[in-house]
Amino acid sequence: MSILNARSLVVGVFLLCLASCATPPQTRLMLGSPPASLPRHTELAKVPYFAQDAYQCGPASLAMSLNTVGFSVTPETLKPELYLPDRHGSLQVEMLAAARRNGAVAYQLAPELNDVLHEIAAGTPVVVLQNLAFSWYPVWHYAVVIGYDLDRAEIILRSGPEQRQVLPMRTFEYTWARSNYWAMVAMPPGKIPETADANSFIAAVSALEKISGTERVQSTYIAALKRWPGNLSAQIGAGNAAYQLHDLTRAEAAFRQAAHDHPDSVAALNNLAQTLSDQARYEEALEAAHQAVNLGGPLAQTAQQTLADIERAMKK
Amino acid sequence: MTQQYSRFMRWTSRVVMLSMLAMGLPMQSAFAVMVDTNQAVSHELAGQDRAKISAFLDRADVLAQLQKQGVTANEAKARVYALTDDEAHNIAGKLDKLPAGGDGVLGVLLTIFIVLLITDILGFTKVFPFTHSINRR
Repeated sequence: MSILNARSLVVGVFLLCLASCATPPQTRLMLGSPPASLPRHTELAKVPYFAQDAYQCGPASLAMSLNTVGFSVTPETLKPELYLPDRHGSLQVEMLAAARRNGAVAYQLAPELNDVLHEIAAGTPVVVLQNLAFSWYPVWHYAVVIGYDLDRAEIILRSGPEQRQVLPMRTFEYTWARSNYWAMVAMPPGKIPETADANSFIAAVSALEKISGTERVQSTYIAALKRWPGNLSAQIGAGNAAYQLHDLTRAEAAFRQAAHDHPDSVAALNNLAQTLSDQARYEEALEAAHQAVNLGGPLAQTAQQTLADIERAMKK
Repeated sequence: MTQQYSRFMRWTSRVVMLSMLAMGLPMQSAFAVMVDTNQAVSHELAGQDRAKISAFLDRADVLAQLQKQGVTANEAKARVYALTDDEAHNIAGKLDKLPAGGDGVLGVLLTIFIVLLITDILGFTKVFPFTHSINRR
C-alpha cells in the first residue's frame, strides 16, 4: 500500500468515526422530542416467528405480519406468490399484492419512523424493507418491526435468523432510509391502521375489493366512513360497496351525504343518480344527473351516459 | 420472410389485445354507469379507454418479466392479477432492477467484507449477525 493510499484510508476512517457520532434525522427528532401519544416502550411479543430459508425474508416477514392479524399462512404457502427465483428476492409491490391475495388490506405507511412506532403502539407489526449494506452495494432485506424502546434508543425486530433482533435506533434508520423508508402493514377486515391517510387507505381497500369481492371489504368501508365521516373517498367507497351488495338505501344515504359535503364531486352525483334511477325515482335521478353533467371534468363522459340511461328508462 | 413473419405477429398480437380489451370494456356499463371507488380516489383517468390500454400493456409486460425471472406461467398470471394498475405501472419494464429483498450476503468480496465489518461496527450497516455497534445513539 502506498503512503498516499494509507493516508486516505486513515482520513476515511477518521471521517467515518466523526460521522458515527451524528444521528440520522428521524431518530434525532424521535429521541429529542418524542410525541406524547407514544408509550416509552412497546414490544409485541405475540408476533410469531418464522425462521427464513435462504433468500426467503419476504415470505417469512409477510407470514409473521399476516398471522398476527389472524391469517393462517406460512412462508412456504407465500413463496410462490411473491418470490422471484432469478432475483433471489421479493419485490415491494408483490409484498403488498400477496397480502391482498390472502385477504388482508395491504397498506403502505408514510415514510416516517413516527408512523411505524405508532402502529407498533397500536398493536400492529410493521414490515420494513432495509438495505443492510450500501446504496452502491445493496443487500435488500425484509424484516418485521415488533417493538421499540425510546429510553434505550432501540428498535426490536424479527429479522432473518434472529427471532429478537435489537438494533440501535440510528442503525435501524440508516438501513431503512436506504429503501426510502418503505414500510407496510397488513390489516384484517374492518380494521384501519392507526396512522392511515383516508385517501390512501380507501385506495388500498379498493385494491383488495377488486380481487376478493365487495363482501369481504364491506365492514372495512363502514369502519372507514365512521373514522372519516366527511371524507369523499370514504363516502364513495362505502356507497359503492352498499350498491354492489344491493343495499340501495345505504348507498343512497352515502352518496347523498357525499354530494352534500362535496357539491363539486361528479362521482358522488353520478352514483347518486344511478342509485335513484335503480329505484325508479327518475325525477330525483334526473336532477342529480344533470348536476353531474354540468360539472364536466374527466368523468363527464360517464355522467352523460348515466343521464342518457335515465332518460331512456323514463320513456319505457 | 422473417420480417414479414414478425410484422404478422405484431399485428396479430395487436388484434388479440384489442379484442380482449373490447371484451372487457362494455361489460361494466351494461348494468349501470357507476364511478368506481378506485376511479374516485385516484382522480385520474382510470377507467377511460386510453388508461385501460396502457394498464393492459403494463400488465402484459409484468407478466412476461415475471416468467423471465423464473415464475411459472400460471402463478405469474395470478400474481399480475393481484397488482393494482398503479403497481403494475410502477414495476413495468424494470423488474430486473428494482430492489428485491432477499438478504443475499453470499459472495461478498473480501474488501467489501472488511468495509462492511467496519461500518457494521460503526452502526451504519447491519449485515453480519455477530457485530455489535459501538455507538448506540
